[in-house]
Amino acid sequence: MSEMVRFLHSGPLAPIKRWGTKWSLWPVHLVTACCGVELAHAYASGYDGERLGSLNYGISRQTNLIIVEGAITRKMARILKMTYEQMPDPKFVMVMGACGLKGGLFWNGYHMVKPSDVVPVDFFIPGCPPTPEAMLRGIRELQEKIWSGEPRNSISFNKIDMLRIGSPRLAPPSPKKIAKTPLVKVNVDRSEKWKEGGIIVKEVSDLLGELASSVTITGRNRICVFVESENAVEVAKRLSRLFDHVKSVNVIDVPHESSFIIEYVFSSYSNKKYMPILLTMASRIDREEAKFPSLAEIFPSADYLEREMHDLFGVWFEGNPGMGVRFLIAPDTPENPLRKDFRLEEEVYTGGDGR
Amino acid sequence: MPGMLEIMVQNMVNIPLIQPLVDVLLKIPVINYIVALILWRPIFAVLIIPGLGAIMLVLMIIVWWERKLTARVQWRVGPLEVSRPIGGVMQVMADGMRYFFQEVIVHRNAHAIYFIQLPILAFLPVLLPILLIPAGPVYAIRSDYAIPAIVALIALIPVVIIAMGWASNNRFAYIGAIREAFMYFAYEIPLIFAVLAMMVLYGSGDPFVIVEKQTVPGILLNPVAALTFIIATVMATSRLPFEIPEADQEIAFGPFVEYSGILFGLVMTLAYEKLYLMSLLLTILFLGGWNGIAIPILGDFMPPFWLFLKAFVFMLIISLLRSIYARYRLDQALRIGWSSILAISIISIAISYALVLTGWLP
Repeated sequence: MSEMVRFLHSGPLAPIKRWGTKWSLWPVHLVTACCGVELAHAYASGYDGERLGSLNYGISRQTNLIIVEGAITRKMARILKMTYEQMPDPKFVMVMGACGLKGGLFWNGYHMVKPSDVVPVDFFIPGCPPTPEAMLRGIRELQEKIWSGEPRNSISFNKIDMLRIGSPRLAPPSPKKIAKTPLVKVNVDRSEKWKEGGIIVKEVSDLLGELASSVTITGRNRICVFVESENAVEVAKRLSRLFDHVKSVNVIDVPHESSFIIEYVFSSYSNKKYMPILLTMASRIDREEAKFPSLAEIFPSADYLEREMHDLFGVWFEGNPGMGVRFLIAPDTPENPLRKDFRLEEEVYTGGDGR
Repeated sequence: MPGMLEIMVQNMVNIPLIQPLVDVLLKIPVINYIVALILWRPIFAVLIIPGLGAIMLVLMIIVWWERKLTARVQWRVGPLEVSRPIGGVMQVMADGMRYFFQEVIVHRNAHAIYFIQLPILAFLPVLLPILLIPAGPVYAIRSDYAIPAIVALIALIPVVIIAMGWASNNRFAYIGAIREAFMYFAYEIPLIFAVLAMMVLYGSGDPFVIVEKQTVPGILLNPVAALTFIIATVMATSRLPFEIPEADQEIAFGPFVEYSGILFGLVMTLAYEKLYLMSLLLTILFLGGWNGIAIPILGDFMPPFWLFLKAFVFMLIISLLRSIYARYRLDQALRIGWSSILAISIISIAISYALVLTGWLP
């Protein structure tokens, strides 16, 4: 078998094989981002990639080139790998755009994968997005690589001798800034924006009584109720007389105060008086032991949102059945990706002599 | 065996243009057998024209022509750089070589034996009708039932395609195979009726009789039958208004989705080969067969030349459909197949009977 492969690669028929492969690069394009527009442009009437014998094709089984257009997420990486495995040998991969190189716009995103970690990439086409000329140039370079057997860089840079220009300058040290405490205040009083809101605020305060630490008007039709986390369930039960659903659940990470702020935004579709009002129930919990009682029993719409917040921040909503399970993010994503102290491991390049 | 050589030499294709060369070659001991075999009429018909060699030529040019035409319609250039001086005709060769040397994947779920042998078996119904399609004096088998036999053999191709869909064991392949089966019934009956109408008109199923009677081309005698036949040809060869079984945007090439490498190269050409056969049939039935302007220097090669040229020009025109039409839905195609096209095919039989009974035809 290996003899057959060697015969194909270097036997008397090898030039025919290389010629055929060179002039028949049919790309199956993985459009994940805006580079797909530029690829369409490169194959449309203005530039016409079909001149080069390259025909856009939808199915990987019958083609030999994948053009990855843009960012590859962890979920999409699986599809990229599947597409690559479906393709018969010899096969090639080209990556368009800055996102595919180092992450581009999504640099340090927890959901990002470099295509070169998933499949062997033949050529990168830098740019955001690359122009159709660059795209077609990539095809030409790939053809040259197939024909001559070795890749070459198509760009040569001008070399500038820095020492001749002058002595190297050091960047000034960055100014030290110390954050105010509390940095994030969710219940800033803006009652002057909603003068007639006093009646409703009074109703809410009467309903909650001692359970609420504060009831504040934070804007027109906006109320913020600050509670302790042990009172949250009781407050939610009482608020369920006025509001019928949870619009959103937010977590704010405040690492230098070692705390999370949990926000539940309540609203109503049935109680006409409360229809325009968004009531935010905020609570501060400890960052090290991030636990909060789940409100999914009282407001079913909170269930999904709590699971999502558990995925992204690792807050444990006690009583929600979905805790400890990956809900939306891919299985291999690192833990708690939206916490402020989250950092991806990044490759570090250093110069040859350690400078 | 000198007797064998004599049999072949007596029944050789006589082309005055290359006759001196043939005379020289026939005197060389071993080569004379090869030359006599190739120029022996039945072998010449099957291997050179209108047989295998012509099919290869058609495949090379028609795929390039189709891509080039589509490109021109879209204000593009089309395949060019591979061979700039001759306008990129070598593109099909490059694609073919790429397919030839590419890995053939037989996936785990496939019925492997059938999966591999069916693309090769598909050549049987493609090549068998060639035996029965005569080109004037160059023919393999002469029969009174040639036309019905050709139609029956061409009708075997969809069976192979459906079998491919089954052997691929893939959901898209299944959907494609079912679509192919639906389309098969929708076009086959009007197609048979149209052929039947022409056979009624000429009173024979023998291509020699049919071509002899066409002092006026059949398309003028019975245009309704010609229209039915052309629409059925477009449906049968999955050209674009009816490219339903292989819709690559919907079901990823249907029955052919799992084929790769040279096997896909084989199955991809099936539709073009079928188109070639249908064009030959159409030329014999409607366009006066091998009748044409006499070119004495070509001798026996002249009738095959005219037959091939007419069929080829028809194929070039049909190629335009891919770039100017959108795709019908399956239900729409079935509806017109079973209603209007079936109706006009029956009307065409009525026209033929009317022409025969009123005695308009000599």
